[in-house]
Parts: sequence; C-alpha cells; structure tokens
Amino acid sequence: MITVKSLIKRNTVLFFKDKGMFFTSLITPLILLVLYTTFLGNVYEDSFKSVIEAAGLTIDEKLLAGCVGGQLLSSLLAVSCITVAFCSNLLSVQDKVSGARKDIVVAPVKGWKLSVGYYVATLISTVIICYVALFAGLIYLSVTGWFLTLSDVLLLILDVFLLSLFGTALSSVVNFFLSTQGQISAVGSIVSSCYGFICGAYMPISTFSQGLQRVLSFFPGTYATALLRYHTLRSAFEKAGEALPKELIDGLKDSVDYNVYFFEKQVSVSVMYAILIGTVVLLMSVYILMNKGKKTA
Amino acid sequence: MILIEHLSKYYGKVKAVDDISFKVKKGELFAFLGVNGAGKSTTIGVISASHKKDTGKVFVGGIDIDANTEAIKRDIGVVFQNSVLDKALSVKANLENRAALYGIGGAAFKKRLNELIALLDFADILNRPVGKLSGGQRRRIDIARALIHSPKLLILDEPTTGLDPQTRTMLWEVIERLRKETDMTVLLTTHYMEEAANADNVVIIDGGKIIAEGTPLELKNKYTGDFISLYNVSESEVELLGKPYEKIADGYKICVKDTNEATNLIIGYPQIFRDYEIIKGRMDDVFLSVTGKRLGENK
Repeated sequence: MITVKSLIKRNTVLFFKDKGMFFTSLITPLILLVLYTTFLGNVYEDSFKSVIEAAGLTIDEKLLAGCVGGQLLSSLLAVSCITVAFCSNLLSVQDKVSGARKDIVVAPVKGWKLSVGYYVATLISTVIICYVALFAGLIYLSVTGWFLTLSDVLLLILDVFLLSLFGTALSSVVNFFLSTQGQISAVGSIVSSCYGFICGAYMPISTFSQGLQRVLSFFPGTYATALLRYHTLRSAFEKAGEALPKELIDGLKDSVDYNVYFFEKQVSVSVMYAILIGTVVLLMSVYILMNKGKKTA
Repeated sequence: MILIEHLSKYYGKVKAVDDISFKVKKGELFAFLGVNGAGKSTTIGVISASHKKDTGKVFVGGIDIDANTEAIKRDIGVVFQNSVLDKALSVKANLENRAALYGIGGAAFKKRLNELIALLDFADILNRPVGKLSGGQRRRIDIARALIHSPKLLILDEPTTGLDPQTRTMLWEVIERLRKETDMTVLLTTHYMEEAANADNVVIIDGGKIIAEGTPLELKNKYTGDFISLYNVSESEVELLGKPYEKIADGYKICVKDTNEATNLIIGYPQIFRDYEIIKGRMDDVFLSVTGKRLGENK
C-alpha cells in the first residue's frame, strides 16, 4: 500500500509542479474562455434571443444569462475533464522518455501498482482542477443568473467525476502506446485543439452537417457533454418554459445539444450515464489487459 | 553473487547478447567493459530483471531469476548512466519515493536516510530540488537512491561519466567503504580504464560476446606487453637493445613482451639501464588489443 500511495503522491505532485504540463492542460478551457469573452457569449445570447424574438416573445435578461452561462460552464467542464486528464497522464510517457520508468521497474514494483499509480494520480489531478473550474463556474452563475437546484449541482459533481474517469481511462489507453517526446507533443496538441470541436464545446454539434453529427453520435464524449449541458440548463429551461411555448423550448434544447440524438432517436439521460459508465469500464478493462500483456517486467 | 550461464538476448534479428557466461563472487568489484552497443546495458537489464532474456540461466544471490524476480530486485541497486531523479522534487522526496517502492517508510526510512546522509554527506542539500543541484551533488543522490534499501549487489552503469575528478574520487571512496563495511558486491561498467584497473575481475564484451576475462593483471599479462622507460641515454644506445622504441620526454619508451624479457635486457645491458622504470601495459592497451577499439568509440 505504501508503494501505491507513494507513486500516486509522486505523480500528482509532479504534474502540478510541471508548469508546462499544467498550463498545456488548461489551453483548451482558456481558448474557450477567450472565445466566450470575445464573441461566443454574444453569439449564444443572440441565438437564444433571435429564436425567442422571432416568435414575438421576450425573455428575462437574467434567465438568458443563466442559459448562456450554463452553456459555457458545461462546455468548459466537458473539455477540461479530457484535456487535463490527457496532459496529466502524459507523465507516464515522460517517465519512459526520461528513464524514470526504467529505474522504477528495477525495484520490486508490480506492474499493476505502477498503472494504478498513474491512473489514480491522473484522476486526482483532473478532479481537483475540474472541481475548481466547476466551483468558479457556479460562482459565475450565481452572479449572472442562478437557476440550478441542489440536485443539479450534485449531479454536476457526479458528471465531472465520471467525465474525469472517462478522460483518465481514455488517456491511459492512448498513452500506453506512446514512448517519445515527439509523440507526447503530438497527442497533447491534437487533444487540446480538437477535443473542443468534436465534443460540441466550441460549437453545438447540432450546427454541424448531418453526416458529421452521425459520426459524432458514436463518440461517448458527445453524451458526456450533453449530460453536463442537461444539468447546467435543465432548471433554466424549466423556468423559461413557464413563459415560453414548449415547441420553442424544445427547439432551443435541440440547438444547444441539450437533447442529443442517435439516428433520430433521442437519447435519455439514463442512457447517457450508461454509455459513459460503460465506456469507462470498457476502457479500464482494455487498459488492464494491455498492462497484463506487456512484455518487459 | 551472480552466475550467468549461456545468456542470450535478441532484439528482433539483432543479437544484443550472444551466449555469454560469467560469475561474480560476493564482495567483488567486477568490471564489465565494452563500447556502446556491445551488450553491457542489456546484460545489466537482464540481471536487474528489467529485461527478459531469451535463453540461458541467471542466478543472483543463488536465486534463479526465472523463479523469484521480486527477491532478486530487492537485493539489487542500480545507478544508471543518466540521472533518473525527479528534478522538480526535493532530494528528500526523491529518496522517500524510492524507499516506498521497497516498502520502506516512517521510522525505517528516517533511520536509513540518516545513515546515507552520514555516508554521502548531503545534509545541506536535503530539502533542495534536485533540478538545482550540481552534477556531482546529483550523482551522490543517485547513489543514495540506489542504496536506500541496502542492496547486496550494486550495479554502476558508467557512474562517473562527466564528473569532476574530486567527485569521482569521493564516489569511489564511498563505494570502497561500502564494500569493506558491508561486503557489498559491485558490478561496474565504465569508460575510465583506471577504474577498471582497480577491479577484482574484468570481462570485456564486444558484439554481444565475451572476448576476454580475468583479473586486470592476467589481462595485462595476456594482451599487452611491458614498457621500459629509459632516461639519460642516447638513441644509439637504445638501438643496441634491438627492440621497438619511441621517443618520449626525457628519454625513450621500449616495448617488451613481458617482465621476463625486461629483466633479461637489464641483465644483458647494465651500462644502458642507469635510470629507468618498468611499467605494465594499461587496461586501455588491453581493451585496444582485444577489441581493436578504444572505449568511447563505436567502431
């Protein structure tokens, strides 16, 4: 136990002490914040307003701010949980590059302890950063427009944890195959720059072409984002539903990926959870099998 | 301490280690020499159970590596050529993390840490991040890290490369003291031939095969001749000896087959041998003689 605890502590501390890795993991969320403050916030706001005003109706400014803020928070969390996990988990590859792994395996450390050390440390780093982001987001919403219930907040905490588990499991499987500094840079850059698009954080998936929407409906990340969006926007949409017609609200829900579809069939929240948990279990099983099949001691 | 029988290791079609056998006695300083890519690191990897072998048997401390890898790993400490310490962490954190890999923590760790501080004299840098240490200080901590679990066998993979002479001397003093006090076995690879000359036994490996082995004296006697440095003589006097020679500062260096031949020359030409010294061939000469290469070269 002392070995696993020590490995977890080492890996977690190294991630937070490596400023390069730490800030790289925050690039995507920072891009999102910059996009939001420069123009995305206005785009979201205008799209909400235009739909509502086209129907000859109006919306309370605070409720509008709550909807836009909820969309931003869900997007931010959706990307952070993945990019932070990937960057944190790159330590496992850096250890291969630096020779630290060679040194560790000279000691009588079982392979599973080493893997658990990286996995749990990545999860801890990811959860800490994403919970801080969630906390900051909730403060922001409380200032601009708070409509969340206690259950929304609790479920958001659960969503972030599950998404962090997903990010950790996915990065563990991908990083398993990496062994050079070039590969670390390539994967870090690809994940940081692309994940925001394919999970619908930068722009809702509903704005993409039909074909691309179909492809993305096979990605578990799509449902992870939708879960977060559901819990950040549910209460705000309920409140809006008191003043606006159901058809209009449904249209808004579709436009911001609150509702997601798999071949025209709407995916329920329980199915989204099942997909996310199932994917985590599958990826963790693959990771365990890959470690068992490793050739070197 | 180590018994290796017909060890082979392949990387694809490349034979990194090709049917080598040797043994290292307990408490011995054993030098393993070879150019880069000769198979030294692979052999060390197999002995320390971090690489799997293809064929052959390896015993460390009488334990078959195939039967109980974990027990063998507990008895081995390795100092790698390049420092593998976590630069962002303090010296103490690095040692604490390393100790935990062997299940050492709490009071046992503190006791061992104090022993190592006394041995390697690093109390003043204990809380400093490793990234801010000098090369010599870092090497001391590398060694402390390898010794944290009190191994019976210490493997040193070119431990003094790039170190200043003072630090190199300090490291060898520590290693010698450890060998005397704890009867620890040391397996060394090095580029410095004077370090290999102090070994109890030497193996020279080339292309994955052992091409020479023995004590430094045996190797010198077998693979190099002796040299006589003659001073205060004229070249015509040296020519009288009928042996190959070269001019050196203040005199001439004459190559002879062995000490016997040198003795015969001295007896035969006492008038020439007024001021002289007889020097055995160096380990550099042994290495050059058996491999056709100098250490540090790849060709």
